[in-house]
Amino acid sequence: MRTTFHSLTKASSLEDTDSSVRQQTLPKLKISNLNFYYGSYQALHNISLDIAANRITALIGPSGCGKSTFLRVLNRMHETIRDTRVTGEVLVDGESALAMDVATLRRRVGMVFQKPNPFPKSVFDNVAYGLRLGGVRGAELRHAVERSVKRAALWDEVKDQLHRSAYDLSGGQQQRLCIARALAVDPEVLLLDEPSSALDPIATAKIEELLFGLKDNCTIVIVTHNMQQAARIADDTGFFLLGKLIEFDKTTVIFETPARKETEDYITGRFG
Amino acid sequence: MTLRYRTRKLTNALMFSFTGMCALVSVSVLFFILGYLVWNGGKSLNPDFFTQLPKPPGEAGGGMANALVGSAEIVLIATMIGLPVGFLGGVYLAEFGGTMFPFLVRYAADLLNGVPSIILGMFTYSLIVVPMHHFSALAGGVALSVILIPTTVRATEQFLRAVPQPLREGALALGASKWRAVSSVVVPAALRGVATGMILGIARIAGETAPLLFTSFNNRYWSTGLNQPVASMPVMIFTYAIAPYADWHRQAWAGGLVLLLFMLGTNICARLVLSRGPSWRN
Repeated sequence: MRTTFHSLTKASSLEDTDSSVRQQTLPKLKISNLNFYYGSYQALHNISLDIAANRITALIGPSGCGKSTFLRVLNRMHETIRDTRVTGEVLVDGESALAMDVATLRRRVGMVFQKPNPFPKSVFDNVAYGLRLGGVRGAELRHAVERSVKRAALWDEVKDQLHRSAYDLSGGQQQRLCIARALAVDPEVLLLDEPSSALDPIATAKIEELLFGLKDNCTIVIVTHNMQQAARIADDTGFFLLGKLIEFDKTTVIFETPARKETEDYITGRFG
Repeated sequence: MTLRYRTRKLTNALMFSFTGMCALVSVSVLFFILGYLVWNGGKSLNPDFFTQLPKPPGEAGGGMANALVGSAEIVLIATMIGLPVGFLGGVYLAEFGGTMFPFLVRYAADLLNGVPSIILGMFTYSLIVVPMHHFSALAGGVALSVILIPTTVRATEQFLRAVPQPLREGALALGASKWRAVSSVVVPAALRGVATGMILGIARIAGETAPLLFTSFNNRYWSTGLNQPVASMPVMIFTYAIAPYADWHRQAWAGGLVLLLFMLGTNICARLVLSRGPSWRN
């Protein structure tokens, strides 16, 4: 098992040398002492974590460990669920995410969901949605849509059917459309909640490839069930268990020399 | 053993035919009514019926043109009041409500739905007819809107709730406000269902009689304004059916046939709209 992961993580270890230089700067997201409650049930326990800019951070852990909940708190999507409560602090470039205007926060910290959720509109209108909210119109809108669809590596497949329904696209294309839609408003951080769990391996590979390309302009946080995926694409990895962040480090460290017994057990498939 | 087995087979066969018969009775009622209406009123259903005013009592011929227009007028007034109020109320229940208030509204809407329509007529009578001192198309429209509101509220709520949650989240995650997400994503996704509910609601009020008896009353001539009494199909049918003239009876049957065909038409329309599937999947 170890050796498999070693070969998988080779690509990201090579990159570590140059991105570790950038890591010296302030963290993009600084989370301190975060607790989260659904009613009286505590789902997250005292989580503190720095997420570095222009890197891919993966969050792994067994089902129900709180990794998706954690992700949702980062752009306050938890507020759509009734009777939830947060304590602690989340800072985006030093600014409090919990105190910020929620629309502003969500434009700076975008999100892509587990199942592709295109709106019942045309491909173009899907990508234009966030831009139109911001008042972008006309030629500027068309250019921004094209740019985003290209960034999501979808342009060649949909350039002739921009005005067809988004539901005519395949599942993988729909998910890349959702990524394009999130990218259109030029977010600083992109959160992805198991974005390829509903997709086949080829569509998954396309998404992973495109995430690599986004790193230069965007900080990426991805929740994944799939450890190989974390090993393939993430620079840093955090391991969650029972609402606690057990360990957070460079992906190579987490997969090759984890400091904690729980992490090692999970990585080597002894549970979960 | 064999006896027991035969009893079981017999019971099964008996119950099967019994339930089948009951099912047949329930569908055949519609065809029976339709056939009876055509048989009795088909002959009176001529061009005059749609273009002529009623003839004086005892004189044969004439039509229900004023009642057709009057019904359309009343239903239009009811629609203009009932649909916006019911729709926005339904949006509130499905998208914005807390726990206590929506519960109350939902409960009240269901109760209102079950209130005998004659009571709604009495209510509108004291609310509008008494202060205005006369019957009017407006009062009829208000009475029907009171029936339309709760059905529209519930239909809107039901179809908005059926829109998958991830669609709302997708819009919110892009920085849309709650209202913006609802108006630009959720409502368009539910539009077909909501429209179906509205069409069925309108079809239902078009046939209501009791609330109109003492609100819009009746009129043997063209109505001259919204504040005047106006003829309507259901009240005209009622009036003609209890009159002592054979020709009027035939016209009442014809009126019933027109009303029933309108219902069938709108129902088929509604089914067609809905059968194209929920909008969020197309």
